[in-house]
Amino acid sequence: MKTALRLVVLFMALALSACASVPNSPQDPLEPMNRAIYRFNDVADRNVAKPLAEGYRYITPQPVRSAVGNFFDNIRDVYSLGNNILQAEPEKALNDLMRVAINSTFGIFGLIDIATPAGLKNNKTSFGDTLAAWGWKNSSYLVIPLLGPSTVRDGTGMGLTTVLASDRPLYGNSATANVALGVNLISKRESLLGVEDTVNEAALDPYSYTRDAYLQIRNKQVGAPQTELQQEEMNIDELMGTASAPAAEVPPAAASAPAAASAPAAVLPRSDASAAH
Amino acid sequence: MKKLIFAFLSCLMLGVAAPSFASTDGPAEFVRENAKQVLDLLKKDDGKNSRKIREQLEALVLPKFDFKRMTAFAVGKNWRVATPAQQTELTAQFQTLLTRVYASTMTRYKNAQIDVKQNAVLSPGGLEATVKTDVTLPNGSDKKPISVDYTLYHTQQGWRVYNVSVEGASLVTAYRNQFDTEVRSNGVDGLIRSLREKNAKLGSGA
Repeated sequence: MKTALRLVVLFMALALSACASVPNSPQDPLEPMNRAIYRFNDVADRNVAKPLAEGYRYITPQPVRSAVGNFFDNIRDVYSLGNNILQAEPEKALNDLMRVAINSTFGIFGLIDIATPAGLKNNKTSFGDTLAAWGWKNSSYLVIPLLGPSTVRDGTGMGLTTVLASDRPLYGNSATANVALGVNLISKRESLLGVEDTVNEAALDPYSYTRDAYLQIRNKQVGAPQTELQQEEMNIDELMGTASAPAAEVPPAAASAPAAASAPAAVLPRSDASAAH
Repeated sequence: MKKLIFAFLSCLMLGVAAPSFASTDGPAEFVRENAKQVLDLLKKDDGKNSRKIREQLEALVLPKFDFKRMTAFAVGKNWRVATPAQQTELTAQFQTLLTRVYASTMTRYKNAQIDVKQNAVLSPGGLEATVKTDVTLPNGSDKKPISVDYTLYHTQQGWRVYNVSVEGASLVTAYRNQFDTEVRSNGVDGLIRSLREKNAKLGSGA
């Protein structure tokens, strides 16, 4: 408990120091704290979660992994049902109710997903979505220890769900509940194996690449406006038309020689100007 | 009819012949044809020829993208302040990075099934099109298909892809913040330098 308290204090201190620096994304005022948690998660993933997920993939055949995924998915449908009611979405709530009813019975405690092929859509929603539906659309980016990208809103939703409507009683005793939680997390990580390689390969800065891709998806899901930089739908035609015309005619080899000489001079005044604000 | 099938088959077998069709085909057919070629090529990977397949894959997809437009889209407003020479260099570096990432990602997900939706959404002028696809990964425990959208631009050589979105997140504009940060602190040349370093690292590591 004491360590937990110390961690919270540490994160708060980091969060406060965040206010001093200029954030490079308006939706990420907690960037320094988030980066610290991101680094921690990265180390934990490399050393624990990823090896476990790989081991899990290695020892289990595909049908077993599907069944495990389906089992936890069925439980999430119950939460989805509750949240669709809270969002006043009776049709979706009914859909979730049917899914749970069919999968829990004919699907043997949710191990087989019969509902999806039967035409009952998998339209999961969470308490974070409910909070968004109630008006909390814009929310700052938040990296949650061990769980990864989220927002303050979704983290709050997750926390409240865990406190108010825990699924732990379902498993009988706390030892089984802990095992279930562990298997659930490993199963989730297994389904994402490979994504981290793409991100590390593609990004100059994996932290901000992950954040920006995540926020684009999440903002779109909850109907929040995209951040300024992402949104710049900026007339791409105008962008291509203005400065690019000469470049198209000059072959790359010929063009690069004068660039080396002229470019630094052209760039310097701009970086001075941008440092001012 | 027989003739048509024969023409179609020989096209598939040659592979290289397909781009000549591109200017007459619609954007959805263009994407479908390419997806098929990519998946067919990936199936030839027997573990020993991976490097060769990767090189072939890069060569196959390279002419299907409009990298200049893509780079401008990723760089955003800073594109205007870059000199033509810088734009050319940015495009060259970004192209190298993206083809590499694309090839290794596809190699990783080579068992994917790609379902290209029939109707492309055309822009009012008809020069731009968005093609929607559903990608299913048979390996994953999550069976839900992932939506991947391609934005294409009509050039004189036919349709060219310049934006790819996964579940609504553009893989191109996700670069904007990173590029902007780099340009703000080290200028356009700083961005070119860090892209070059990134490519060098990938080239030696992979």
